[in-house]
Amino acid sequence: MKKKSLLWLFALVLILSAFLAACGGGSDDASNESGSEGEGSSEGTAEGEPQKGGTLVYGLDAPPEGLFSSAFYGIATDAEVIDLFDEALISYNENLEPEPNVASWETEDSKVFNFKFEEGVKWHNGEELTVNDWVFALETIADPDYDGPRYANVQTIEGAEAYRSGDADSISGIEVVSDYEINITFDEARVNNLTNLWAYPLPESVLGDVPVAEMSASEWVRSTPIGIGPFKVDKIVPGESVEFSKFDEYWNGDVNLDKIVLRVIDNSSVVGALQNNDIDMISLQPVSGPEVEPLENVEIVTYPGLTYYYVGFKLGKFDNESQTITEELPKYQSKELRQAMMYALNRQEWVDAFFFGYADVVNKPVPSSHWNSADDSELIQYEYDPEKSKQMLDEAGYVDTNDDGFREDPNGDEFVVKFSHYATGNPTFESRAQAIAQYFEAVGLRSEVEMVEVNLYYDMVEKDDASIETFFGGWGTGTDPDPSGLWKADQLWNYPRYNNPEADQLLDDALDIEIVGTDQEKRKELYVEWQKIVNEDLPMLYIAELEEIKALNTRVGGVEYDVSGQNSPAEWFVTE
Amino acid sequence: MLKYSIRRLLGMIPMLILISIVVFSLAKLMPGDSLSGEIDPLNTSPEYIAEMREKLGYNDPLPVQYFNWITGFVQGDFGKSTRFQIPVFDLIMEKVPNTLLLGVTALVITYIMAFIMGMYSGRRPYTLGDNAIAGFNYVMLAIPSFVAAVFAIYIFAFQLNWFPFAGSVDILVEEGSFEYYMSRMHHVLLPAIVLGAMSTASYTQFLRNDIIENSRKDFVRTARAKGTPMKKIYNVHILRNSIIPLVTFLGFDFAALIGGAIITETIFTYPGIGQLFLESVTSRDYPTLMALTMLLSFLTLFGNLLADILYGVVDPRIRLD
Repeated sequence: MKKKSLLWLFALVLILSAFLAACGGGSDDASNESGSEGEGSSEGTAEGEPQKGGTLVYGLDAPPEGLFSSAFYGIATDAEVIDLFDEALISYNENLEPEPNVASWETEDSKVFNFKFEEGVKWHNGEELTVNDWVFALETIADPDYDGPRYANVQTIEGAEAYRSGDADSISGIEVVSDYEINITFDEARVNNLTNLWAYPLPESVLGDVPVAEMSASEWVRSTPIGIGPFKVDKIVPGESVEFSKFDEYWNGDVNLDKIVLRVIDNSSVVGALQNNDIDMISLQPVSGPEVEPLENVEIVTYPGLTYYYVGFKLGKFDNESQTITEELPKYQSKELRQAMMYALNRQEWVDAFFFGYADVVNKPVPSSHWNSADDSELIQYEYDPEKSKQMLDEAGYVDTNDDGFREDPNGDEFVVKFSHYATGNPTFESRAQAIAQYFEAVGLRSEVEMVEVNLYYDMVEKDDASIETFFGGWGTGTDPDPSGLWKADQLWNYPRYNNPEADQLLDDALDIEIVGTDQEKRKELYVEWQKIVNEDLPMLYIAELEEIKALNTRVGGVEYDVSGQNSPAEWFVTE
Repeated sequence: MLKYSIRRLLGMIPMLILISIVVFSLAKLMPGDSLSGEIDPLNTSPEYIAEMREKLGYNDPLPVQYFNWITGFVQGDFGKSTRFQIPVFDLIMEKVPNTLLLGVTALVITYIMAFIMGMYSGRRPYTLGDNAIAGFNYVMLAIPSFVAAVFAIYIFAFQLNWFPFAGSVDILVEEGSFEYYMSRMHHVLLPAIVLGAMSTASYTQFLRNDIIENSRKDFVRTARAKGTPMKKIYNVHILRNSIIPLVTFLGFDFAALIGGAIITETIFTYPGIGQLFLESVTSRDYPTLMALTMLLSFLTLFGNLLADILYGVVDPRIRLD
């Protein structure tokens, strides 16, 4: 059957191209988009007074998984959907400082917090929101059967551990005063207790009888979710669209739009759909930016995001059992070498070429929109300077001793920069990795690029595989600006295995309530001090922080973005 | 025939066991698992990942994992999708209606086009028209479907506004109403045309060759000698004989109907089995991935059996026993 084998060949080709097609889109961000966004608040484009009524079409370029509950979702796409119909008890302002939303709070010692809820806040099923819904959320997350990733946000409440291990029937640190008042006691006083605390309620009225183990698969989470936001979910067509309509009993003022229709579209159709007015707003990949910019009916709004990219050096090996860095790798220990490599990079040119200008060069691992970010004037700027780079390499002993055109290490042995980058099928990844290698070669450092399939890549980076020497990566940071989890010597995700007790001490001090009290300025000083150290030490070469890019149809108004994300959908409107 | 079918069905069991081992090994050989890859430090912690790995049994020895999976599978428990957190069976059932609709529509389009072109070519072989049709068929076969899909969306959805560019239904129409079904047909048509029109080659050429072959046979000469009009000879006598082998193609199409069209569904954001399959690969959703692969393997085997049986039914000269 020759025909059959032909068919099979055809099928194989199709499957192969499917991988290419699928991987080509959506994989531009190395780290997941984090829920929060950058400063420089920007407004929607329609002029004039908000209008009532109308339907807004909201686009998503990846299908949601369908876990439409704040306590259970796992990916940013689901979070985008949840943001349209639910809101948190506490919100964040443009400096990423907590602000009262439904709940306001008081604390004397940063250990015991007293929260007061607004009265008359309604769930979409008509029940009133009380503190019991919040207690229900906290107990669900602390339940041993809970299968979502939020336990870290509840762990610090006094008695949460005991509840989780089954030693207690309730969490001892939670004390309900009345339906609208609650006291929460943490296991110790910390400066970031509040920002770390889980601040979304779960509706006890509908989920109360569902066993925790079955909640994430329950109909309530998947097809009939409810929240307390300005829009309620009417209908969900799994994997492709969601219909929202205005919630008349919304607690916080008027809602302008009648309906929001959310549509999932493939990356390849985004530009066409925007041009044809088929969608009103959507997040764009940097690569689509230049195509969307010329469209007359679409406005592009950008604001700095909280994601940064870097080239890391493996400076040691980590033992996950003992949570310590056990071995120091000699190859990149020279600080002068790392600095010289930083001067060799023309980061601006690279960012313009591969992120189409939708990214800013950075010199520190704290996004510039955070309140604790150090000012540029306090940091070394590492402007592109190949001459300086060469001079530094000469001084550090990296010179070409055997006249092959490339430098040898101070011992006279061959020196090759092995640079690893993840591969997803996105064809620009290899060229952007090659570009970085070429900058190194331009100052005389022989470089080699290795592309590794993305899942394997992160596995190898995490396990300190010997074949990873320098590597490309990215991180997203959240509303809590503390970088400890990604930087301290005892952390698994400190991928460069950076080990500097002095820097770690600063991070600890900045969280120590004995030292900083409740003084944010004092915390900032310590964080700036820390940034100066890592800016000089360069355990990684900071490349750029990404901008978030939104495309808005010109008929959309009332939309604002700042560092904490979008404003309440209640304020959005459309003009005809 | 019954004995033959039972024998074939029994023969499938060792084959399926072998397939299950291959499927399981291949899935586990993929680097990483559903918890590795890009990490969002906001949403997770090393402790959570370690705990989930333990809970999902990723730390067990491979034979134990295989045994756990296959015992559940045989009892109809396909496991729980690590990505969607619901049973894989529910997930598949949710997507099957969409995929079937797309598959059947595409198949109907393929049959109609192939039938018309095949009859024309068979009757006038080696003419300009025949060559044009063959050329058209092979060009369509050669165009990758993602290219065709993107162009189809650009031309028919964005430029001409004839079809929606994505989705399987307009969410604003009421479910169950007449508009609802019209909306579904409207949404399925463009991806179905892309799929259907591109796979006409094998059917067309098969039909053409058969018609040419049959037209040289004795019964045709006899009919012509009797003075039967050429039109009647082609449309009745030859055609009836020539579509017999085509019927057996149905068996091979069986798996393809459920398997969906991976790329086309993804580009049209048409939530079906194909899209699900691709997503389960990229997100290392083993339970879904393995259940789908097993399902498709089974359907392919079953389709082959069906084709063999159909041979016997439509052509009495073939004996199965």
